[in-house]
Amino acid sequence: MEEEEDQSLSFSEVVEEQQGQRGSEEENVVQFLDSLDSYLTLFDSLSSTLRQGWLELASARHSMGVSRINGTLLDLKPHSAATTLQVSEPDVDYMVGQPHFKLSKWASSNNENCCFGEEKIREDKLQTKSDSPQLRNRSQFSGTPATNGASLIVDDQVQKERSKSLSMFGTLVSPKLRSAQLSFETALETLVEIANMRSTMFSTSDQIRKEMAGPRDDNKRYCIAEEVCD
Amino acid sequence: MYGFEALTFNVDGGYLEAIVRGHRAGLLTASDYNNLCQCENLDDIKMHLSATEYGSYLQNEPSPLHTTTIVEKCTLKLVDEYKHMLCQATEPLSTFLEYITYGHMIDNVVLIVTGTLHERDVHELLEKCHPLGMFDSIATLAVAQNMRELYRLVLVDTPLAPYFSECITSEDLDDMNIEIMRNTLYKAYLEDFYRFCQKLGGATSEIMSDLLSFEADRRAVNITINSIGTELTRDDRRKLYSNFGLLYPYGHEELAVCEDIDQVRGVMEKYPPYQSIFAKMSYGESQMLDKAFYEEEVKRLCLAFEQQFHYAVFFAYMRLREQEIRNLMWISECVAQNQKSRVHDSVVFIF
Repeated sequence: MEEEEDQSLSFSEVVEEQQGQRGSEEENVVQFLDSLDSYLTLFDSLSSTLRQGWLELASARHSMGVSRINGTLLDLKPHSAATTLQVSEPDVDYMVGQPHFKLSKWASSNNENCCFGEEKIREDKLQTKSDSPQLRNRSQFSGTPATNGASLIVDDQVQKERSKSLSMFGTLVSPKLRSAQLSFETALETLVEIANMRSTMFSTSDQIRKEMAGPRDDNKRYCIAEEVCD
Repeated sequence: MYGFEALTFNVDGGYLEAIVRGHRAGLLTASDYNNLCQCENLDDIKMHLSATEYGSYLQNEPSPLHTTTIVEKCTLKLVDEYKHMLCQATEPLSTFLEYITYGHMIDNVVLIVTGTLHERDVHELLEKCHPLGMFDSIATLAVAQNMRELYRLVLVDTPLAPYFSECITSEDLDDMNIEIMRNTLYKAYLEDFYRFCQKLGGATSEIMSDLLSFEADRRAVNITINSIGTELTRDDRRKLYSNFGLLYPYGHEELAVCEDIDQVRGVMEKYPPYQSIFAKMSYGESQMLDKAFYEEEVKRLCLAFEQQFHYAVFFAYMRLREQEIRNLMWISECVAQNQKSRVHDSVVFIF
């Protein structure tokens, strides 16, 4: 009697396990398709952002003159990177075998409060890209005064870093050049998102392949379960 | 009331006025621009320009063309015309023609100094200089460490020397100081040019006063907008405005304290000649401001040709050609980037 109960339990466990596996497979397929859709959408977004950036740069050259915006003004002195990319090791808990890319924007050796990271990326996205210079000095975020104060400080520092990187073209530059800078900054963020989405895509694709190779083991277990039941 | 310029102008200036009016007839027309705006690539643009006065300058350029090549060759044409007029001119027209190039000279000085600060090769920088602003000792600018040396070693023997009195310091050259130097030099140049034209008198004085005042006012607006959100203080900003023009002095006081584009609009709309410019723009945006200013400038420059026996036609022609070159640059960029729908964002038709 106990043996029969044990056998029926193991059979139901196998059935539950199989249902769980099918659910997991479907989830992986859905995740793969979602990541593929996001990947293609991000690519379109990158293409349009870059087009906009190049046109804004041409517009800035038209406005300020070719002698003020050209390749010969780029700074060849050694200086630290304003933006760095960090690649984190694949984390077993997060996603098996999936590297993760993180952008650290506007970090300079002169600025002790560096490495704004992804949180700042999200905050910057909330900052409307506009020619209205007033938005540079005013907070975009609603919330407690303490939050707004901290956001203002970060916002000011980001603006200073942006102006510093544009200073090779002069300190009084056209708003069109600043718009071009924002466009290319957005394009850089999109590139990192594309890299992460691609990583997710490959990871889920590998999982799906493994799962598709796995059903023989399940069938074997099912047969054993049937034999047990018989 | 003018003097009897009609009696004496043609003795020295008649030939060159006829030449410049002939050059003016060679400016691209609306149908030329329509053809250019429909080009599919830069070789098409070269083909269309071969039927214009730019043809001989572009015909030997190999494919694939680049937008900077088109701009360089078209500029060479302007330089050749200018040099021909300068070598034929007598005083005071020759001095007047030289004044027209001092702005380019200032841009070249700043380009060399900035590029040197960024450890760029001098020869590379000299290739990017505007040909109208070249002078003999320009390459030695690279040795200067501060403005005092800049003046003492190089610029003391150039026409820009008198403009340095307000910005000679021993401070090292950095990005902010260079920017202030650029704008201070340009301010001094504009004021000097204005005084020179006033001394000439007659139609030259009247027309050039209007054109230079517009230039000074436009610079004041651009300095204001470009300095919003930067480290430039209000006092420093105020010091960069020229001491003449429609906005001087009360408009400058108000512009100096502006913190955003809408405040600038509020100041400028008090002046009737600039109401129409800002009426074309919606609140909070400044993208179309450049085009609006260029359109107004072209209107005033074309009006200069309605009178005879004055020197302003030379200034007007040079500026109209520069506008034409800017148009060609913009059209070339839009065609090269496959963004022809945006071509009318910045093209200013001259006729």
